[in-house]
Amino acid sequence: MLRFIAKRLLWMIPSLIVVSFLSFVLIQLPPGDYVTTYIATLAASNEVVDINTANELRARFGLDQPMIVQYWKWITGIVLHGDFGLSFEWQQPVSELIWERMALTLVLTFTTLLATWAIALPIGIFSAVQKYSVMDYVVTFLSFIGLAVPSFLLALVLMYIAAVHFGQDVGGLFSDRFMNEPWSFDKIVDMLGHLWIPVIILAVSGTASLIRVMRANLLDELSKPYVTTARAKGLSEFHLLMKYPVRIALNPFISTIAWLLPNLVSGSIIVAIVLSLPTAGPLLLQSLMSQDMYLAGAFVLLICALTLVGSLISDILLALADPRIRLE
Amino acid sequence: MNHFDKRNMLGATAPDRRMILKGLAGAATASVMMGPAFAQSAKGEAPDLAKAVADGKLPKLADRLPASPMVVQVDKVGKYGGSMRRGLRGSADHNGILRLIGNQGLVRWNLAFTEVLPNVAEKWTVNDNSTEFTFFLRKGMKWSDGKPFTADDVVFSIEDCVKNSDLYKSVPALLSIASKPVVVTKIDETTVKFTFAGSYALFLEMLATPLGQHPTLFCKHYASQFHPKYNPNVADLVKAANLSSWPDLFRAKNGDIEIPSRWSNPEKPVLDPWVIKEPYTGGATRVVAERNPYFWQVDQAGNQLPYVDRLSFSISQDVESLMLDVISGKLDIQERHIDTLQNKPTLAQNMQKGGYRLVELVASGSQQCQIYLNLTHKDPKIREMFANKEFRQALSLGMNRKEIIDIVYLGQSEPYQAGPRPGHPWYHEKLGRQFTGHEPKQANAILDKLGYDKKDAQGFRLRPDGQKVFFSIDVIPTLYPDCVDCLELIKRHWAEIGVDIKINTIERALYYTRGDNNDHDAAVWPGPGGLDPMLDARDYFAQHPQGTRYAVPWTQWYVSNGKDGQEPPESQKRRMKLFDDARATADLTKRAAIMKELFDLGADSFETIGVCLAVNSFGIVKTNLQNVPQKYPSAWSWPNPGPALPQQFFFS
Repeated sequence: MLRFIAKRLLWMIPSLIVVSFLSFVLIQLPPGDYVTTYIATLAASNEVVDINTANELRARFGLDQPMIVQYWKWITGIVLHGDFGLSFEWQQPVSELIWERMALTLVLTFTTLLATWAIALPIGIFSAVQKYSVMDYVVTFLSFIGLAVPSFLLALVLMYIAAVHFGQDVGGLFSDRFMNEPWSFDKIVDMLGHLWIPVIILAVSGTASLIRVMRANLLDELSKPYVTTARAKGLSEFHLLMKYPVRIALNPFISTIAWLLPNLVSGSIIVAIVLSLPTAGPLLLQSLMSQDMYLAGAFVLLICALTLVGSLISDILLALADPRIRLE
Repeated sequence: MNHFDKRNMLGATAPDRRMILKGLAGAATASVMMGPAFAQSAKGEAPDLAKAVADGKLPKLADRLPASPMVVQVDKVGKYGGSMRRGLRGSADHNGILRLIGNQGLVRWNLAFTEVLPNVAEKWTVNDNSTEFTFFLRKGMKWSDGKPFTADDVVFSIEDCVKNSDLYKSVPALLSIASKPVVVTKIDETTVKFTFAGSYALFLEMLATPLGQHPTLFCKHYASQFHPKYNPNVADLVKAANLSSWPDLFRAKNGDIEIPSRWSNPEKPVLDPWVIKEPYTGGATRVVAERNPYFWQVDQAGNQLPYVDRLSFSISQDVESLMLDVISGKLDIQERHIDTLQNKPTLAQNMQKGGYRLVELVASGSQQCQIYLNLTHKDPKIREMFANKEFRQALSLGMNRKEIIDIVYLGQSEPYQAGPRPGHPWYHEKLGRQFTGHEPKQANAILDKLGYDKKDAQGFRLRPDGQKVFFSIDVIPTLYPDCVDCLELIKRHWAEIGVDIKINTIERALYYTRGDNNDHDAAVWPGPGGLDPMLDARDYFAQHPQGTRYAVPWTQWYVSNGKDGQEPPESQKRRMKLFDDARATADLTKRAAIMKELFDLGADSFETIGVCLAVNSFGIVKTNLQNVPQKYPSAWSWPNPGPALPQQFFFS
């Protein structure tokens, strides 16, 4: 086991190097650079940038140098000094910008995850056990709707209804009053009051697909001989279900951990944008749109690193949960 | 110095530049209205400030105001309190803050966008050939931290900051003439002199625009600690802040005219009516600015401005959620990002529910959808085709402008090419209206005559070399969806005269890159310069390297004084010379005559093809927000709503 982990960790180093280079190239690929985008964005509001200033910006950010030189400066900064550079747009250190938003992103992602599992597991089990019953059809129908509705649309519709018909304040995670207050009990209560909308919206599609996965997996298991044997030996139906087939059917849930970690950053971007949530997603999108290279690069690198770590963790967990899986 | 009829000027309520900038003398006369007589009458202040004074936490009002505060003639004397809410987008929207609070330059525009008025400077004098401008600041004026604002701050801003080559590689174009930067000298505590190497008659108008805010931007007693000239140990601060050089630190702390960090440091002293409390930084969800207790303006009753306690900018990532905020009444004044024609019906329909009214924003541009054929195209065959004035004339005549206006602009415009707007004193009939009729027959005759008389199977004309008469037009759908609609109709109109086009919808960075590299066949963009032809003349000659898209290499030739780019034809060179002359001419009659000659040449050359006059837009204002003009210009040179003085808006 330890050897396996060490080996995987070592493999991560070359993967990260390749990934960092690729992500840097990808961010550079669109035409123009940060300054072009900046001028274009301001021009959209009929605002003009002084011509000298524009050229100067390009020189100051090193955008006039060849890409390989820019990459070298960037990656050596990270490796040697742990310095992710300065965001062009905000003139703030990139690491500061990203970490500022991580706490709330974590809260949102984990709440959503818990809500998804809490809803999907029982319903999935139920609809597998009661296969082809009326309730199974109802659940199946609903979960297909959940899969089919784009979550940003659901967010917009919910917001419109809440704002126009109920006059409720729906965007963001806090009321105006608490937005920049230090953490307190009241603020947490306020946040919970706002949190449920994004959680529901995000959970809808996740729940739907998990229900389907759970149902399919469990159906495969339920007809297996060991279930019949256990039943014949007089094990209570609930105990039997939970102890054997469900445990095996859980494998896909554990696999999802691999993409759970990168989702912390990149998941739910569109919903977060629509709902103006102070999470990492909107910042990532903005940095890509404005070609703010160092910020975007740091995000992409972070997502890749999290994917690698996530898949390692899920491999280990899988081995623990299902003794049939061997690591060597 | 010329004098003018002031009643006429003040009577001009519509923001047409009916009496454009009657000049320096005029503006100086207007400052007579602000007498020291008002200083003693300054008496009203916001309740929370009065309380702070009573508690001994703040000096008395009279000590906070300058000896002669600027007196704003308000419509209704307001009452204090409330918070004005506005929406921003999360990225590159810092100018949305500038437009509301950062308008405190030495001088400012009047409401009609016709005249320069005193602002931070109480009055000024100009020498005869417009090379020396002496500004008289207000005695006893304070920064928002209570420290005095003096001539030293202005000298520091220009001489030590703007002219520092580490901080600014080159001095901003606005502060140099004849390639030499301005020299600023202190005469006494409250008097500064700006000296230019050549005549710069347009300087005051330039100063009134946002890009002219440098003289009052940096506060010496605060900013100098980040400047190596004043603080030899600045390297330690740079290190402590984890930055790489002192200019980075200086910019992070003090900002610049239009970068986000101007609004990200709550410690920085400013002259603005509101001071940033919750900054605009990456990932912020709200920006808040609180009243500046040392703000140096009062209303005619002597009440210190601003009336409104604070500004609160909510940050939406998405324009649709901004619209929702408007409809649900969560914003008090907003035009940014929501003022498209498509949104107007929705906003009009929800006026009652959201509790707001619509105000009219007068377009400052001249053209809604200017078509720039690339006269300097890299392909010689296409270049030859575009360079022929008759070809462009045929295209213009082949366009059914009335249909476009009715369908795309709901009848809210009139056929137009380019030029100052009707009603402007420099309005030029030929420049604006020539070839705007729909004459397909005539257009066909011209094209036949030019040798494009053979047609292919689909009925499109062929060039003499056998290629189809075809070109693509670059347009940015996310920015100007209406231009795409225009082009769809034009494509049909031009197909009738045998000309085929491709509507090349591209992303904006690509649009700029193609323009910069001179790779485009043609491009569209709204044509500016309708109310401010002197400030943006890109459609009248090859002036702007990123704007004059019919001949980018010519603009490079102009901007680099003949070093780069391509040499333009005689008519262009003549106009470049005329424009430089006009900029140096203070006498407005003479300037108008020079510009008339420029417009004549422009009309003869007919380089761009326009569709219709720029359409007025709109904004929303909460019903209980008072003193907001019902109609005001919408421009960057007049950064609406700033010059309408948001500090005198109040909630009833």
